[in-house]
Amino acid sequence: MTAPAIQVESISFNYGDIQAVKNVTFDVQPGEILGFLGPNGAGKSTTIKMLTGQMAPKSGVARILGKDITADDPEIQAQIGVCFEEKNLYLNMSGLENLDFFASLFGIKDADSMEVLRRVGLADRAKDRVHSYSKGMRQRMMISRAFINKPTVLFLDEPTDGLDPVTSAAIRKTIKEEAERGAAVLLTTHDMFEADELSDRVAFINEGEIVALDTAENLKLKYGKRSVKVRLRDGDGVREEHIELEGDGSSARLAELAASPDLMTIHTEEATLEAIFIELTGRGLEG
Amino acid sequence: MSPKLTWKVLRKDLALGPRSPIFLWAIVLPFALTLILQFTFGSLFNPEPRLGIVDGGDSEITAQVEDMKGISLTLLDDAEELKSNVEANDLDAGLILPAGFDQAVKDGERPELQFYISGESYASNRIILSVTAIDLVRGLEGSKAPVTVDVVSYGTAGLPISVRLTPVIVFYALVMAGIFVTGSNLVEEKEQGTFMAMLVTPARIGDILAAKWMLGTLLASVLAAATLVLNQALGSNWLQVFVVVAVAAGLSSMIGLLMGTFAKDSTIMFGLVKGLGIFLFAPTLFYIFPQWPQWIAKLFPLYWILEPIWRVSILGGSISEVWVELVVAVGITVALVPVIGLVARRVQAQMASAG
Ligand SMILES: Nc1ncnc2c1ncn2[C@@H]1O[C@H](COP(=O)(O)OP(=O)(O)OP(=O)(O)O)[C@@H](O)[C@H]1O
Ligand SMILES: [Mg+2]
Repeated sequence: MTAPAIQVESISFNYGDIQAVKNVTFDVQPGEILGFLGPNGAGKSTTIKMLTGQMAPKSGVARILGKDITADDPEIQAQIGVCFEEKNLYLNMSGLENLDFFASLFGIKDADSMEVLRRVGLADRAKDRVHSYSKGMRQRMMISRAFINKPTVLFLDEPTDGLDPVTSAAIRKTIKEEAERGAAVLLTTHDMFEADELSDRVAFINEGEIVALDTAENLKLKYGKRSVKVRLRDGDGVREEHIELEGDGSSARLAELAASPDLMTIHTEEATLEAIFIELTGRGLEG
Repeated sequence: MSPKLTWKVLRKDLALGPRSPIFLWAIVLPFALTLILQFTFGSLFNPEPRLGIVDGGDSEITAQVEDMKGISLTLLDDAEELKSNVEANDLDAGLILPAGFDQAVKDGERPELQFYISGESYASNRIILSVTAIDLVRGLEGSKAPVTVDVVSYGTAGLPISVRLTPVIVFYALVMAGIFVTGSNLVEEKEQGTFMAMLVTPARIGDILAAKWMLGTLLASVLAAATLVLNQALGSNWLQVFVVVAVAAGLSSMIGLLMGTFAKDSTIMFGLVKGLGIFLFAPTLFYIFPQWPQWIAKLFPLYWILEPIWRVSILGGSISEVWVELVVAVGITVALVPVIGLVARRVQAQMASAG
């Protein structure tokens, strides 16, 4: 196994009395996407802020590309890309000017800002000032800026926040391309579908702690209950029945329903990450 | 710190300048103030020396002045009217030529010539007019001075109000461009989060603050110099004027940087400028009111940059007269650097938790 690009050992952070992140440990390999899945206030953004050098952890150690993050090393900064949670663009500059400026800070001489804008679908608005962009266009600008230096390590705080489903899908594709290029990606989301689809591994984070960390598949195998949804004719209407496959006598009941003349459809249901999250934390992903 | 990164941030700010209302306002203000003050008190629209003559009988002197370029001549009928014009500085000087004056000079009688000079006139204008008057009289007679010239100073003695107000305009140029532009630019970057966006690139906080300081110093230098040119107060030695202006701009911008680092948002920044305004402005009052005890001005930080500008640029003196002031100004500027460093560290943490 190669050395992890992101290596986090038991870091914590508190805002005064609020313990935002508690002894969080994980690592991300080059080319891997780790999804941080958790509800509002779970500590996702705080973790990213520590790892990008915006705030120092109160305890613990974190290394990016082998270097301690508190070293504040421009050479490491040059290799990271960050998509902030709050949009922070130059509104009185065009999309192209924004990217060219940040490319220059990275010391990139021949930045192909136009190509980066094309990837997020903003090429036709490249020369317009960002203040004339819609919310979703600004979010895409945020992502394109994170890509501008072809980062080795990519931090994306809710990258598809506020994007329509089609655009979200397109952006997810670009994130996957970054990982395929070899970037280690840490992304946060409270959307279980996004975490499921994008992440090689998922970390459940709740109240500042990682409560589970594994591939989505393993999590489902380990915690999820597979079930079957059966739809039956019931007089003039339709009746639904859920049968958990692990339960005692579930197969007998299933056989019985399968033989019924009223049977309409049988669907297997996969456990969702949210259902597992609820099982592990006693709370949902929203709020 | 990396000069390259500082330059890139500075270049961006210079390019964005014309898109920022505060930047534009900072440029317009000293020009507007100059126009207003010069229109009200000043010499801008009357750059030629203004001479009034009361001619009792067809003097050749009057005819010759009429032919001269570069002197604006007003002919008056009455000596009292002439004096009151001179007193009000509507004329720089006035000359009374009694009937038979030419003949008396030619006969070698050495008559008395009455020459009035406004107390508020520019020294340069007084000299031009006095010398011209003597020359003309001399021309009437022969080579040796034919008259005793009786120079009477009229109106309040001292520098004209338009000169005494020049420090006020320079002050506004320095405060707007040096303090306000520097501070607001920094605060704006903090408010819109772009400061943090830069900090996750190889740019470090020192690179960015250095760029902001240079932006303010550059703009304040150019505007202060432009103000001095407009007010015809650009001294005699351009290199020395450049030094005092640059020192002044550097300190102003450092004060702006401190305010901008300290202020969390533009409301606080406005508040700081408003609150500290009179403290910063105070030393300019001592130029308007020269009768006040002048040592009090030294208690205010901007005295140390206004005095060198006053002496070297406005009064045309030598930089050697003000080296103490310059050293103090540079000293304050340098002393503010570690203070800003301390504030910046605290502010960075604030920004991260806000953004
Ligand atoms: N600036 C701050 N000052 C005080 N407390 C804060 C601050 N920022 C975050 N917190 C607290 O820290 C905890 C974690 O917040 P964080 O922003 O990391 O959550 P998050 O997982 O990113 O949530 P969201 O999904 O809403 O973005 C929360 O309890 C929050 O109230
Ligand atoms: Mg967050």
